[in-house]
Amino acid sequence: MGSRKACEHYWLPVKNDCEDLLGRFQQTESVRYEEFAAVWREMDFSSVFYGYQSIHEKKSFTRLTLTVAVNYLIPPYSFQIRVGALYMIYGLYNKQLVWPKEKVRIAIKDWFHIQQLIADAKSCQHMDVVYIFWRLLSEKAFYFTAMPKKLTFISGDRVQHNVNEEFRARRDNVAELASADMLEEIANVHGCYERMKNALLPTSAGVTLLNLAGALKKCTFEYQQWQEKAAAARTKNTKKKEASQESESSNRAALVASIKTKSYGHLTKESRSRRHRQTEMATTGPGTDEALFSRKKKPPSLKARTYQSLGNPGETEQTKEWLLSVMEEDKNALKRKRERRFNWSEQ
Amino acid sequence: MAESSGVHGEVINENIPVYEYTDVSSKEFHIGAFRDLYLNALNPDVYSYSDHGPEVRDVQLIEDLGIDAETLEELKNICSVDSLKGEHEDTDTVPADPQLATLKLRKRRQDYKDSLTRDLVDRHEAYNNEMEMMCVGKKPDDPANLVPEGEIILTFNVLYPALFQHFKHVRAYQTLNVLGSQKLSELRDAICCVSDLQVFGEFSNNMDAVPQYVSKDHYKSAFFFFNGTFYNDMRFPECRDISTTTIEWAKTRDFPDFKSAKMEDTCFYDLKMKLGFPFYYTHQGDCEHVVVLTDVRLVHKDDCLDQKLYPLITYKHRVVTRKCSVCHTYISRWVTTNDALAPTDPCLFCDQCFRLLHYDDKNNKIGDFLAYAYVDPGTFN
Repeated sequence: MGSRKACEHYWLPVKNDCEDLLGRFQQTESVRYEEFAAVWREMDFSSVFYGYQSIHEKKSFTRLTLTVAVNYLIPPYSFQIRVGALYMIYGLYNKQLVWPKEKVRIAIKDWFHIQQLIADAKSCQHMDVVYIFWRLLSEKAFYFTAMPKKLTFISGDRVQHNVNEEFRARRDNVAELASADMLEEIANVHGCYERMKNALLPTSAGVTLLNLAGALKKCTFEYQQWQEKAAAARTKNTKKKEASQESESSNRAALVASIKTKSYGHLTKESRSRRHRQTEMATTGPGTDEALFSRKKKPPSLKARTYQSLGNPGETEQTKEWLLSVMEEDKNALKRKRERRFNWSEQ
Repeated sequence: MAESSGVHGEVINENIPVYEYTDVSSKEFHIGAFRDLYLNALNPDVYSYSDHGPEVRDVQLIEDLGIDAETLEELKNICSVDSLKGEHEDTDTVPADPQLATLKLRKRRQDYKDSLTRDLVDRHEAYNNEMEMMCVGKKPDDPANLVPEGEIILTFNVLYPALFQHFKHVRAYQTLNVLGSQKLSELRDAICCVSDLQVFGEFSNNMDAVPQYVSKDHYKSAFFFFNGTFYNDMRFPECRDISTTTIEWAKTRDFPDFKSAKMEDTCFYDLKMKLGFPFYYTHQGDCEHVVVLTDVRLVHKDDCLDQKLYPLITYKHRVVTRKCSVCHTYISRWVTTNDALAPTDPCLFCDQCFRLLHYDDKNNKIGDFLAYAYVDPGTFN
């Protein structure tokens, strides 16, 4: 059981757990660390690392959780989710059971986004965000890398991260248009224009709005208020509908999820002509992988191999000098007791 | 990734690595330029090895955030790690009633493992960890050998040559860490390949005269092929530029022009590489290895900090050593072909069994056979 294989299977549960945590944090509608810590304690998230595992498995698993967490730290997620991800990283980093501690990999392309996030938090006086980030930096919790994860050319390592639509940041076009900088510039230009006009023409006839910047501001403010009211009304309605639809949708989601996991866990039967058997499951190394687009083949069973080398009963016997023929009655003696392998995707 | 469509109109910076194929490989980027970019973006305190004392840190923090000491104390209390503590602290077992999906999966696996009569240990993992732990945080005795702060560490996976059709499903590889300031020739010296140790010649008639020199000393030519350029090893007078044949062949076909350069003159900072993209290393004329650059990052204080130990091997795939066909105890040293006395062709023997079977008391050869010296692929375990 290579730990790489194990990590592939843990990826989905870890992602679901992280999204669960972030979802609950989103519902608290705050960015305070205390709220986050309360949610963390409620879910007992530190126990993600518990359980009896080998050191290697522990390390790979820790790396996996940190990689998943970092994905939520960068756009296109909303500010609250990104702050939640930062807290989550802080929690995971400090609660890991590995020494030396697994570090968080930050690619240079993401570093600028993170700096932006912290700058935004600072300007909004969210001191706990800045403090947490500062603490992670001073504990040297980061690896500054070129890409977010190690890129081996092994197909088993590739997992696709799909952006969770609920966590996505809403693009506030109106606010971007009428941002503080923009309004300042407009006010300046407007002032210049008024002065030039007054200098040229003594009369105060004009076609422009007198206070352009102020009018814009009022407009956008009204729009935002309307937006918030509409959103509140929508959530009230959806909450009512949710209860009834929940069971239906969750059934369907569970069905889809089970179909998906089944198709990834499916192993094809090994062709009989293959003489050399793959090493046993327990001793397969972490370098195991599948050829780019083909599924892993199960090694032929003992029965198939015996038939191969000794021939089916009824066919002509093909004996080799150096192999002692196994009596048919004795075949049961050599049969492996452990027939059942661990099914990762069983629900 | 520097967006070209951002509201603020950022410039596309070529030296920021981005994915060419998501999760597979990145576009090419210049390693030295990447390092400069990152170092410029970071405060030197962030990547230094040392740590300021807690008082200094507090003062810095107060200045940085623009808050007063009381607020800082409050922050420290709220954001301490204790706030994340759960109810039970038993880390060895899964909690009784797991809510998290991860724990449910882990519990199932644990129950399965407990139901087994024999739990076999993965031989690769068993020693893997020890190999990594050997060099963690190692400081050199001589401070001149300390890896400077801000140095880049590159991680290469060198795959063993795939010679057999049957063993395709396991891609054996070794992982090497190199410093950015080192030359390519140092990486070449550090790669362990069994074909370097082969001894030539047929020795059935004079088995005591096995020469001590190995292929590594004979055939010193080698090249790396990174991103369209062949880097040849020209350190010794015996080395030849073996990439010229390929370059000339490529010119006659529809390939882009390949360049060539010297391995010992190029250090990793000068290279333009793609992460996660398979490149090439050839030695002994035809022993070919696929080389993948998996990771480029700044050095961290928990890494091995002794320059002399780089290139560092952090992972080696353990190959099963082939034992003698007769005694199954000793590692085989001889391989025979066309041998009437042996059950298979070819057949492996350890030294003693070989002499006992094929030679009589007076060291005369019995029977007709050809014998070659055998180097086991598992010698590097």
